[in-house]
Amino acid sequence: MQRAYNQQEVVRRRTPFVVTILVIISAGLMLRLASFQFSLPLEVQSYLESLRDAGYTRTLELAADRGVIYDRNGEPLAVNTLDYMIGISPNLVSEPQRTAQLLASALGLNELEVFEKVRSDDPWVQLAPRISAAVRQQVTALDLPGVTLTPIPRRSYPQGPLAAQIIGFVGGDLVGYYGVEGYYQDQLAGQVREREISRIPFDLPETTQIGHGSDVVLTIDRDVQYLAENELLRAVQESGATGGTIIVMNPRNGEVLALANYPNFDPNAYFNITDENVLRNPAVNTIYEPGSVMKVITVAAALDRQAIAPDFSYVDSGVLNVAGISVYNWDRRAYGAVDVTRVLVDSLNIGAATVALEMGRQPFYEEFNEFGFGRITGVDLEGEEAGLMPVPGDSNWSEANYVTSSFGQGISVTPLQMLTAVCAIANDGLMMQPHVVRQFVSNGEVIPATPAALGRPISAETAQQVTQMMVAVVESGLDNPARLPGYTIAGKTGTAEIPDPSGGFYQSGVSITTFVGFLPADDPQVAILIKLDRPREYWASQVVAPVFSRFVERLVILMEIPTDDVRRQLGALGGSVNNINR
Amino acid sequence: MAQSWFKHALQRSALQPRRQTASLAILGMFVAIFIGALYLSQASSTSLLGRQLGDLIDERDRIQQENEALRAEIAGYRTVERLLRRAQEMGFVPATNDTLRYLVVEGYNPDREAAVVPIDAAVEEPLPEYDESFLGWLQQQWDALVGQVERFNSSESN
Repeated sequence: MQRAYNQQEVVRRRTPFVVTILVIISAGLMLRLASFQFSLPLEVQSYLESLRDAGYTRTLELAADRGVIYDRNGEPLAVNTLDYMIGISPNLVSEPQRTAQLLASALGLNELEVFEKVRSDDPWVQLAPRISAAVRQQVTALDLPGVTLTPIPRRSYPQGPLAAQIIGFVGGDLVGYYGVEGYYQDQLAGQVREREISRIPFDLPETTQIGHGSDVVLTIDRDVQYLAENELLRAVQESGATGGTIIVMNPRNGEVLALANYPNFDPNAYFNITDENVLRNPAVNTIYEPGSVMKVITVAAALDRQAIAPDFSYVDSGVLNVAGISVYNWDRRAYGAVDVTRVLVDSLNIGAATVALEMGRQPFYEEFNEFGFGRITGVDLEGEEAGLMPVPGDSNWSEANYVTSSFGQGISVTPLQMLTAVCAIANDGLMMQPHVVRQFVSNGEVIPATPAALGRPISAETAQQVTQMMVAVVESGLDNPARLPGYTIAGKTGTAEIPDPSGGFYQSGVSITTFVGFLPADDPQVAILIKLDRPREYWASQVVAPVFSRFVERLVILMEIPTDDVRRQLGALGGSVNNINR
Repeated sequence: MAQSWFKHALQRSALQPRRQTASLAILGMFVAIFIGALYLSQASSTSLLGRQLGDLIDERDRIQQENEALRAEIAGYRTVERLLRRAQEMGFVPATNDTLRYLVVEGYNPDREAAVVPIDAAVEEPLPEYDESFLGWLQQQWDALVGQVERFNSSESN
């Protein structure tokens, strides 16, 4: 009894100490807990918060829908669609044989292979990596348990190969390549946004929409593009050419209305292309020697520098020995006394070289530089080349180069560069920057692309004089097959030799033929370049000038450009047709 | 008698605190159950709403995707080749310069300035404005009554 009492006494005496110690420990722990809450370094705090959140939230990266590409009239050229990845969870399938039979039939797969997948021990098996929306509908209609369909975004080009090299394509990684898709990747793709998905059932999901890339409205007219591609295909087939280009441009503002190349490709099946060069746009990234088309620029430059007068003449003796080379005319004839208009009408190499020599080397290169040769135009398409214009001081330049450049040899340009330079003549001397995008539409806001001027290489007066000479070329010169009754056309052909890639001089018997022209000559609404590579016939006036006439005959109907007499009657009433409303 | 009353008072006084405690405990339990039920009800309705919202978002996304797919399908039906084929089936032929005539209509100038009557001219007098006070409301009612009487009088005279 006494012993039990003593034990109770000991407990009674020790209890306050134990309680005190426990209280102190608890207080310490609570203080430590409070320190976690209030006085941790920021990085430790954020790390702990991320550990906390990782348990019940996950972050999804959601790509915005890619912007749609339209032609100038609102016809969609590139849109977004969905393909589907189809898979199956075998443990949810109650009738494997029937399921395999139905799925194989819908997907066009081997029934035995599908059956093996349906009987698999895996929790989920992929049946097909990508099926179309139509096949997906068939599969959904079967109402089979365990089948999963995961949407996969896909870029679709409803017009098929039309304008493929302008538009470019979007790869499997949803990134745009070539053309507008590549050049405006950032604007079209929009932003990738993160969305927090909570596993807590009480958290309401985010309802904000994931934005949308900017829609792009091109300057391209789908119908003109179709016409250009059809005429180009026909011209290539008839002439036996290996390739070609047609560019249609509004010289007043630099809008590219059509840009057709042959060969081209179907952007819906870009992965079938084995030659990567087909994916590029030869109009902006293939350079060539333009030949006699350049004589127009030489004459315009000389007139603008007042190195020659419009009535300038010289005696053509059939050969010009200068800078260590002999220059001959295309037919090796001597033309006697000729004026500057006839230099263009008869496409005389000696005449062009004489005009360039009259101008002098320094002003010649300054003028060519102002016309944009040797530098990019800045067109909004991927992979533009600057061309090749050797200038004094360059290792590949010689005095002969200065002479031959005057008639388009020893100088290389892109087709678009050449047309842009000629457009300066059509636009009273003001050279506009070529562009293919007319406006962006972002969240309902329309952002128009403002036409930009590249410069004024020649005066309006010089432009008028050269235009009259170019009209004479089509009316009475070698390029007569380019005429179209009822319309005044200014133009010039160019037959360019092709440099030998093995390092020799020029390949014999093959040429690149070009026609550059604009109409109506007194109030230009369209400027056109047609180029055919290596046709059977050698001379541009025989090959490409008739193609120009045929193309323009259809084009004026499509663009509702009336004949000259109708335009003049309309002008007398105070009206005009110089607004392309299409 | 007095002794039994005393005993009873003693027993009662001993039981009184227990009953009060039990009553309080029961009351507390009921309150807790009530609050818990309220919380559960609110939580379940929030959860349900979240699910419905999720479904609606999925539905919205699906409809948008279908819309895009339809747009692609329509664009496919409107390709130039298809339109050309259809036009030929309907008997249309391509226009040529020989078959085309442009007409210049005397007196018609497509670029003329359009004569538009200014919108301000159509408004004869400004509409009355009322403030949101009682007097304003009274004025509005009075004007409405006067208007009705005027319309009635004018219809009578017609």
